[in-house]
This record gives sequence, structure tokens and C-alpha cells, in this order.
Amino acid sequence: MNSHATTAPRSWFKENILLGMNPTDYVKSLLTPFNAVCAFICMVGVPLLVYRFYAGLGATTNLSQTQPWGLWIGFDMMTGIALAAGGFTIGAAVEIFNLKEYHAIERPAILTGFLGYLIAVVGLIADLGKPWNMVGIFTYNGTRSVLFEVAWCVACYTTVLFLEFAVPMFEWLGLKRFYQPLRKALLALTVLSVMFSTMHQSALGSLFIIAPGKLYPLWWSQWIYAFFFITAIVAGISMVIVESAISHKVFHSQFEGRHVDASALTLGLGKAGAVVLFAYFFLKLQGVIDAHAWGYVKGFLGAWWLVEMLGFILLPALLYAYGARNRNVTVVRVAAAIAVVGIVVNRLNVSIVAWDYGNPNHYVPSWMEIWVSLTLVTLGVLAFRWIVNRMPVLHEPADLATAEH
Amino acid sequence: MTGHEFLSGYPAKLMEYALAVGYLILFIPFWRYVQGAKAAPKRVAVAVQAPARAAEPRGVMAWFHVPENVHLHPGHTWARMEEDGSVTVGLDDFAHKLVGRVAAVALPEPGARVAQGEVAARLGADSKTVGLLSPVDGTVVAVNRAAAEEPGRLEDPYGKGWLFRVKPPRFAANVRQLFSGAAAREWLEGASQALAARLSPQLGHVLQDGGTPVNGIARELDPEHWDEIARNFFRT
Amino acid sequence: MKLSRRSFLRVAGITGSMAVAAKAAPAQAASPFETPGADEVSMLVDTTLCLGCRGCEAACAEANKLPDPPADEGVFDEPRKTSTTALTVVTRFANPRDEKDPRYVKRQCMHCVEPACASACPVRALDKLPFGPVTYHPERCMGCRYCMVACPFEVPKYEYEKALPTVKKCTFCAARQEKGLLPACASVCPSGALKFGKRGELVAEARRRVYGNPDKYVQHVYGEHEAGGTNWLYISDVDFAKLDMKVTVNDASYPQLVKGVLGVPPFVMTLWPPLLMGLYAFSHRRDEVSSHTGGEHGSKGEGSHE
Repeated sequence: MNSHATTAPRSWFKENILLGMNPTDYVKSLLTPFNAVCAFICMVGVPLLVYRFYAGLGATTNLSQTQPWGLWIGFDMMTGIALAAGGFTIGAAVEIFNLKEYHAIERPAILTGFLGYLIAVVGLIADLGKPWNMVGIFTYNGTRSVLFEVAWCVACYTTVLFLEFAVPMFEWLGLKRFYQPLRKALLALTVLSVMFSTMHQSALGSLFIIAPGKLYPLWWSQWIYAFFFITAIVAGISMVIVESAISHKVFHSQFEGRHVDASALTLGLGKAGAVVLFAYFFLKLQGVIDAHAWGYVKGFLGAWWLVEMLGFILLPALLYAYGARNRNVTVVRVAAAIAVVGIVVNRLNVSIVAWDYGNPNHYVPSWMEIWVSLTLVTLGVLAFRWIVNRMPVLHEPADLATAEH
Repeated sequence: MTGHEFLSGYPAKLMEYALAVGYLILFIPFWRYVQGAKAAPKRVAVAVQAPARAAEPRGVMAWFHVPENVHLHPGHTWARMEEDGSVTVGLDDFAHKLVGRVAAVALPEPGARVAQGEVAARLGADSKTVGLLSPVDGTVVAVNRAAAEEPGRLEDPYGKGWLFRVKPPRFAANVRQLFSGAAAREWLEGASQALAARLSPQLGHVLQDGGTPVNGIARELDPEHWDEIARNFFRT
Repeated sequence: MKLSRRSFLRVAGITGSMAVAAKAAPAQAASPFETPGADEVSMLVDTTLCLGCRGCEAACAEANKLPDPPADEGVFDEPRKTSTTALTVVTRFANPRDEKDPRYVKRQCMHCVEPACASACPVRALDKLPFGPVTYHPERCMGCRYCMVACPFEVPKYEYEKALPTVKKCTFCAARQEKGLLPACASVCPSGALKFGKRGELVAEARRRVYGNPDKYVQHVYGEHEAGGTNWLYISDVDFAKLDMKVTVNDASYPQLVKGVLGVPPFVMTLWPPLLMGLYAFSHRRDEVSSHTGGEHGSKGEGSHE
């Protein structure tokens, strides 16, 4: 597939960028309803993002003096980072725990992770008042801050993810000089990714420890960092199941001629999801008792907490268990979808819904905040598709398929 | 925490410990339920009687024979660990009956590496070929040249009709992806029901008669779609 | 100033319990009779003396080059909070003892002994000067607004309407203090409601007034223990909750809450690599074994065996 040196550069471009089509044919192939919707979202969203930098946060968001963190932090940053946890969970499963059967989904998981972190970083840049001063975390000694640790770890981990993603990227570019040493470094990169992920996934929860009076007591806990870390693992497992189910449908052509038993892998992940969610449910109960917060299970927030616990933690745990035991891949996938929504619900609860709970004029995100978040997700999906159609992510590169690993 | 003390220290600690103990008690059955090991064989043992012989018309599940020590791959190949640590690979009864008379067999070369789920061999029948997926990872150490030369040997798919032998570096991990014993029979039952459903217009009267299907069912009964069927069941 | 036995016991009891609180408070309190941040600059606000003239607001606005505060008394009709253009505000509250004698409370940054905002700031834009004030460096600030999340008194205000926003809060006139001047507000206060001094002395003074006049004052010095101790202290004869002051603030310092959690990352960085490599070795041991025993069979392109 990689034609270089003797052939003209334009044919490499045609093969590897235009997927072997003429420019006109390629553009024609882009005219699908799905692409039209994505284009519409981005054509509104990208100018909105520019407008936010021109006009400021007050003009584009509903943030207030009592709600300094809104949708862009709660969803783009916190939920984005949680849902991108598949990179380290599957990476650890394959490289550390030697569960080689998951090798086929390791690269898509890393790609999802990398793009998820990029979305989180862009969302963060949109939210910061003066994002260029971010470099201050490297120059000023803010070590007493949990956010200092989050910033450093996210920066380091995004670098690690990029290096892991760079392997298929360099394979696509045919640059053996680059991908070979990176392939050899994969074990070290995986150890680093588990280490960094443990630190910042939990630290994102620790951010709220300093504000016990402002977060509704059913969500505030001195153990909130453990909750965030465990739900990150759940999010990683569940997102990988959802992503591989969609990839198998959408990118079916890449799986032809090979057999990747997605069903068996899905069932295996479902087992893990069942056990982790089951334990997490009880852990949350422990957290509430430990904080002496039982009396807060009342009113709207008490009811909403029960919805999160029963509908988005216990229910997917039981569905995962049922699906894994009865080898029912569909049930496992449904459980995964519910679990993913549950992670979103949890992160939004901690950052928005249960925050500033005494305020009668509670924060509701503006339509512009919502649209920008939607745009970032759309761009992530489009990037995923673009990369997967060109680079060896869903399949092995030519040299690995026949030769040794 | 100040202010809203609903529970004081000691009763709360008691609740925490009680909850933890309760959770541990619940965890054991939950784990066993998720792993699902014990219950399945009992259920199937009742339904399946003596080891099914290919010739006996005992309904759909008796069409296809599965020996005890053999592990089946969803692509209808099988793997069996030998005493010397190598693994023999072959084509299962279902696949053999589905494809029928084989004109040619293309096997991997000794020294070649095969991977679980990747095409390792090909069967040719008429002018079409069907790929067979390897059930395990490994390096090919031996090849059944006799089967390649006389495809008729495949009539004994688990014995003389073996295809090749490999040295498997991670058999334990591979086996987790394979069916064996009662689970394999259960799965084959499902596969044959799926096949019967596809071919039902023609097959209806055969089932009623209780006759065993002819070799090459798919080809005989649905020549136009046989390679689609083969692809569906062999997953290639 | 006469101390009755009852009030002496009260003082002893308070300081005794402070010894317990001191474990959660900063290490500066070496003995139970020492006040945390005793040498830091501090302000005592006696709400019984405040006239509501709002001269402090005007002086603050002038010193910080902010717009003049609204002149008319109508501002007292509604509860007020500090804002990006008003670093201190005076609010009027009804006095349950005497309808005709309302109480006025000046609010601004509390300049905590262990400030949550400064500990939360990842670039140290908010930082505490050694002599007490919590100050702001706008050139460092990246606008993450974590200080606003952290502050239990909801003090920092953000300039959302600007394209280059900064955080606004009272700086205790640190620049003026460094020149030997009083903070602007204290320098114009006509009634003596604002008393400037060192924290140790002002806490003692506050206690004298409060515990020495149990019939007059609410028996609590607000800011003595709140958030681990603040440099702005309040005494009042009206219940603090009725003065819109946050009474559910922890008595322990807020940065202490995260101290334990911050200790974990270095542990993870040390422990995870050997742990993970151990798991790696354990789960790859079978591969090692099989590659050893299988070595004789040959791996690449040797002849077939049958």
C-alpha cells in the first residue's frame, strides 16, 4: 500500500489521503446525510468558539460568581477525560495482564483515549479566561493545588497517548525509523499511562474535596478520588464496548477477511464491568455513611441521587452480569451504553447539578455552551473516522500481519 | 463535618461494617453468577444423551459430532492439545458436512506463523474456496500432507483428517476464546438451527423424515448462496 | 476590665478546645495559648460600632481605582455582595433588639490564615504574603477559577464580561501597608468599628470585649476558628446567621482537607512501576516457559516433521 521513493508524491496523497479516489470522486463520497449534520453542527459551533474568545465568557456562557465551573469543565473536561479512560484500561489488559485476545481493540481504545483527551484540552482552553497562561503550571510552584497535579498529569498523559497513537500514524507514513522504537517502548508507555491515569482520574475528583459546603453531601466525600478512579475504569470498559460495536458496523470493510471475535471480547469486558460496578455501588453507599449524609436522601437531589445509584450504577451492573453469564452480547452492549450515560450523569452531577445546591437561581448551561460541546464531540468523531479509514488502527499494518510480533 | 449530623460516630461505623459484611456476602454469589460456570453443563447434560454418532438421526443436534477433548473455534475449526505440548488443528464436523466433497486443500507451510482468528488454510470445492480460521496462535510444526493430497481423508475430520499442528505460545489464553464439551455442543446446536433456518424451504421435509443431511448440504440445496452461507459460518 | 469567674472559665474552655483545633490548624500555634497567625496583620470589625457611613467603600474604590460606589441609601434595601467593581460592601440588617438601630456589616476578603484560594491556585496567582494579606498577581492568572470553587466565603469575583478577565477581591491594601499606611478602609473609619493590628492582639481584644460583656455580645468571635482562622475578625451583638455571614464554614482550615490527598501522587509514582512490572512478569511467566521448552523445535522455516 505504501508507495514511495520511485512514484510521484501525488499518488501517495491519493492513496493515503483520498483513499485511492480522484479528488472529485472523493468529494462526492463525502456528501452523506451524516456528514451534512456534522457540517451543520461545526459551521455553527466553530464560529461560536471564535466568538467566545472575542466577546468573553460572560457573553457566551451562563457561568456566575457562585457557579465558576459549568458545562465546559463538567462535560468537555471531566466527562471527556473519564470516557477516554479506555486507553489505559485496555492497554493495561493487553500489555501488563497479557490478555492478548484484547490486542485487536487496543489500538482503537488508544485512539479513542487520545481524541478524548484532545477534546478535553480544547474544552479547557475554551473555558480558561487566559489560556496562554497555562504554561504557568510549569513555571510557578503551585504544588499545594490539586489542580496543579491535574494539569501536569493531563499534560504528561496526553503526551504518552500521542506517542502510543504515533505508532499507527508512523506506520501509515511508512516511517519505520520512528515507529519501530515506539513499538518497543510500548510496555514502558503503558506503565506510564496507568500511572498518570491513576493520578489524574482520581485528582479530578479530589478537586472537590476543598469545597465540602458547596457540593451536596450525597456526592461530596473524602473518598471522592477513589470514586472517580473506579468510574474511570468503568467508563473505559464501557466506552470500548460501545466504540467497538459501532466500529464493527460502520467500518465493516476493515474486518473482512479476518476474524476478530468482538462478541467474545465484549463478553469478557462485560464480566469486568459487572464486578467493578457492583463493587462501586457498595463503595458509594459506604461513602455516604462515612460522611454521615444519610439524612440528605430527600428532596430533588436525594431523589436524583437514587436515580443515579439505581438506574445508572446498579442497573448496568446487573445487566452486565446477566449478559456476560448468558453470553448475550446485545445485553452487554445495552449495559455499556447505560454505563456510559451514567458516567456523564455522575460527572455532571458533581460539577453542576449538585453544586451550589442552595442557590434558587441555579446554573443552566447556555445554548452556546451546549453547542460548542456538541461541536467538539462531533470533531472528535470525525477525526476518529478520518484516522481509522487511513491508518492501521482497526487492522494490523502489513508488516505485522504476516511477520512476527 | 459540622452542622448536619444525622448519625453520630459509633452507630455510623457499625453501619459501615455491616454494609461491608453484607456486600462481601452478596459478592460471592454475584461473582459466581457472572462467571456462569456451574449451571450450564447440568442443563445441557439432560438434553443431550449418549455421545452423538453422526449416523443416528436424533434430531438436529445429532448431525454434528464433537469429541470430548477438542476445543472448537467459532470459525468451525478445532484445536486439541497433544501429549508433547503441540496442538493439532482441524476442521470440524459441521464445516465438513457443510462444504461437502473437497477438491483441494491449501495448508500453511511448516514454520509459518498462524494467529487465532486469522485465515490459516483454504478449502477448495468446485471453483470456490473458503478460508479456515486458525483456532490458536502458534508456529506450524507439522502439516498433514496426506490430507492435502487426498482430500477424501477429511471424512474423518477429527482423526485422519487433521490439517496441521502448531506449537502454541499461549494456549491457555487462546482456549478462553474456544468452546469445548457441553458448551461446544450447545453452540453447534445453535449453528445447525441457524443453518436449518436459512435452508428451511428445502430442508423442511428432510427434518420431518429424520434423515441425516447429505454431505455438502449447503451446496446441494442452495447452490447460489452457498458461499455466502459458508462465509457466514466460517467467518471469512 | 473585670473578668468574672464564669467568663474566665469560658476563655479557658475556648482556648482548651482551640488546642484540639490547633491540630488541624497551621503549625504556627506552638502552644495552646498561642493564636495561629498571631504576627499577621489583622482587622477587628465591631458591628455594634459601625454607623453605615460607607466611607470605607469610597476609600477602597479610590485606592483601587474602581468606580465610585452608588451614593444613595437605596443600596441598603437589598442584600449586597462584593463584585468585580466593589471589593468591599456594607450591608444593613435589622436588629432584633432595637428596630431603630440597624446593624451594618462590612464584607470583604477574610484573608484567612490558611487561605483555600491561594492553596487552590495552580499558578500561585493568589498568594499569601508572609505578613498576612492574600494578594493577587493578574499576570500569572490563567482564569481557571478554581479559587472561586475553593473559597468557603465566596469572595473571589471574576470579570466574565471582559476579554482579558482577572479575579477581583480585597487585597488588604498590601501595597499601602508595605509603605507603612493603614488599609484605606481603616484609615477613614470614623467610628472605630475597624481596628487594625496584629492578629494575636486583636483576637485577645475581641475575646475581652465579647466574653467580658456576655449580655451585650454574641459569645463568639467570628473568624477566630472559621476556616482555620481568618485575619478579619467580627464581633457582634446580633446572631451572625442573621447578618448573612456563613456559619456553616468548617473550623478546620480548608487546605488541610486536601493535604492527605496531595500526598498520594508521589506514592503512586514510586509504587506503580514496580507493581505493574511485577504483574507483567507474573502474567507473562507462561510465555517464558513455553518459549524455553519449545526452543528446540525451531521457529523459522525449518523442515516439516512428517
